[in-house]
Amino acid sequence: MNLLRKLWNNLHLFMALPAIVLFGLFFIYPLAQGIGISLTDSNGMSPPRFIGLQNFVDFFHDARAKKDVYNTVFFAIGSAPLLNLFGFLYALILDRPFKGKGFVRAVVYLPAVISPLIMGYVWYFILQPDRGFLYHLLASLHLGTGGSDWLGNANSALLVLVFINVWQFVGMTMIIYLAGLQSIPKELYEAGEIDGAGYLKSLWYITIPMVVQSIKINVVTNIIGSLSVFEIIVALTDGGPGYSTESLSIYILRMLYGSFTGYSTAVAMILFVMIIIPVFLFMRYINKKEFEM
Amino acid sequence: MRKKKLGLLLTGVMMVGLLAGCGGKNADSPSPSGTAAGTVQETAPKETVKLKFFTGKVETVDLMNTLIQKFNSENPGIEVEQEYQKDASNVIKVKFASGDIPDITTVVEQDYIDQGKYLDLSNEPFWPRVLPAVKELSTDVKSGKQYQVATNVTMAGIFYNKKIFQELGLKEALTWDEFKANLQAIKDKKPDVTPLFIAGRDSWTLGHLIEFLAHGIIKQDLGVKSAREAFINNESDKLKFDQENGPIDTFAKRLLELQAAGLINKDALTATYDNQKEAFATGKAAMISQGMWVVADLLKISPDFQNDLGFSPYPSIQDGTKPVVLSADDSRYAITAQSKHPDEAKKFLEFLLQPENLKTYSEFLKSPPAFTDVTADWGPLKEQANQALSSGVNIAFTDSPSGFSGDDAGRMVQELLAGQYAASLDFAKAYKDAWDKAWKATHR
Repeated sequence: MNLLRKLWNNLHLFMALPAIVLFGLFFIYPLAQGIGISLTDSNGMSPPRFIGLQNFVDFFHDARAKKDVYNTVFFAIGSAPLLNLFGFLYALILDRPFKGKGFVRAVVYLPAVISPLIMGYVWYFILQPDRGFLYHLLASLHLGTGGSDWLGNANSALLVLVFINVWQFVGMTMIIYLAGLQSIPKELYEAGEIDGAGYLKSLWYITIPMVVQSIKINVVTNIIGSLSVFEIIVALTDGGPGYSTESLSIYILRMLYGSFTGYSTAVAMILFVMIIIPVFLFMRYINKKEFEM
Repeated sequence: MRKKKLGLLLTGVMMVGLLAGCGGKNADSPSPSGTAAGTVQETAPKETVKLKFFTGKVETVDLMNTLIQKFNSENPGIEVEQEYQKDASNVIKVKFASGDIPDITTVVEQDYIDQGKYLDLSNEPFWPRVLPAVKELSTDVKSGKQYQVATNVTMAGIFYNKKIFQELGLKEALTWDEFKANLQAIKDKKPDVTPLFIAGRDSWTLGHLIEFLAHGIIKQDLGVKSAREAFINNESDKLKFDQENGPIDTFAKRLLELQAAGLINKDALTATYDNQKEAFATGKAAMISQGMWVVADLLKISPDFQNDLGFSPYPSIQDGTKPVVLSADDSRYAITAQSKHPDEAKKFLEFLLQPENLKTYSEFLKSPPAFTDVTADWGPLKEQANQALSSGVNIAFTDSPSGFSGDDAGRMVQELLAGQYAASLDFAKAYKDAWDKAWKATHR
């Protein structure tokens, strides 16, 4: 009887078991495997040999990898803040009652429904010089030729990538902020009004602290998403011209396929750390902030 | 939604996990001299055997399906399934590693031959029917055995628009100077036509340029067999990749010359293979570098184009060398050593090599057959192809290391065209480094 009671009281511990098993099987185990392989010179075919941290040393002497880190970080620093800023602004605007609100929300959210891969190809057809839609549009309006090759130049291609990414996923961010905004009790604003807080003051002292959970979710997913960017680049530039818009994820895949399995895994580990660090720092900061609030 | 990307990455990491997990098991994989690893256990003959056919040739998917249907209905006990992957030469690596091994495939790579991944086909009865030159190209230089068979010969060279050539009174160019003069004449007299259209977005097309123009010098100097040995064994003293005014350096200079003179399309970096076909078939481009695989599509775009279609060898890019034309084995098949049904796979291969099926295949692909007992009416370029074969040195594809594919080489040419190399020699050195690195990864 006693045993049964014990079991009953600790049942909640067993409830988590399937999740823990799955997490171990599909995350912890591969991660451990990956760390193991990143210390070898595996090429995916011959038996791998242990070479210690050589792959990580090579990474810091690899010009292509440096460029890829630059591209990835550039993309993330370009995308994540803009996504949050515009997402939040859209949410503020669309939180007000007006006619056709549902329609506007749908329009803003729509691009996020479509696969980034398809989006990339669509934009490719828009931006192609001499043949693209934009070129023909500008030509018909006599606004010059629009002949500048946006995608043929590394720097402008990166900017285009950031722009498309922000435009596509701003709806995603907006929806989460909207959910946060709508969970704020109206009484708070009324109380603020009585105390003589204007719009900006109530935004700063009521709205932002109250949507801190949404901020957390958005910032973290945007950091993860933009640092591991893959599809949109594959579709739009395929990392080109040359390797000038290649992201780390693409590099990992290409190396994995191209007989550099060990090295590829090492780069994957590095990317993993690159994602974990900013997420960890941000969470620490925001949790401290929240406590102060 | 956005977590998917992380998922993708982790999948990648997991895949590596799988690769390693199996890498250990394959440690004692059979050497090329070994026989099939899969021991055939004759189970009850009533059971249907499922054969997996793995292909990377997008243009033949539908045709293969019809052939497979025919085969399946003729052989009730066997069922062939086709799987197509765009990136087949890479995907097969994952398949080998994860144990999802196809029985018969179009993907044949030297590295996999070295690893003993394919079944020895040397003693099969069809070899006397194969053109000697193609048999030579199908022979593994290290063991002297045949692990693959090719059904067709493919050619690549400069396709040109005859109508434009006649109008301007131009002739097929054999030297670089003639070639450039032709392009210049087109640019001067027909400003709205692109003299040479390059499809740089699809990096393999640029990889081909290196393979035919730059490697063409090496291949004609050494001859077919020695050249293959030099590439496979990475004999750098013979390849001279990084030599000043060597093959790669010269190639880079020539390409930049064309770019500087405005003889290639402005959007050479962002134009696709489809754009190239479109521009050429509609008369907006006068010349392209392609292979016979393009013809069927060109005629699809404009059916009357047949009479204007000209084919010539690649001009010699270096003084003292000859023009070259690719004449190589195409549509290769190999049976995997780990196939559980080698006998059925051989049966399917025999079926594909029946003269009537080869004829269907050749006529569909518009490419000449590699078997002597097949006469196929393979296309409008028969005459010109023969002429090109006699006026240019016949070269084969390059056996490059599996970690340095034509796509990788093509991406370096993109860098070159984007002006990322200060000098052509830097490009040559970078090319050699990339090649060596990939070669070392699989030779240790």
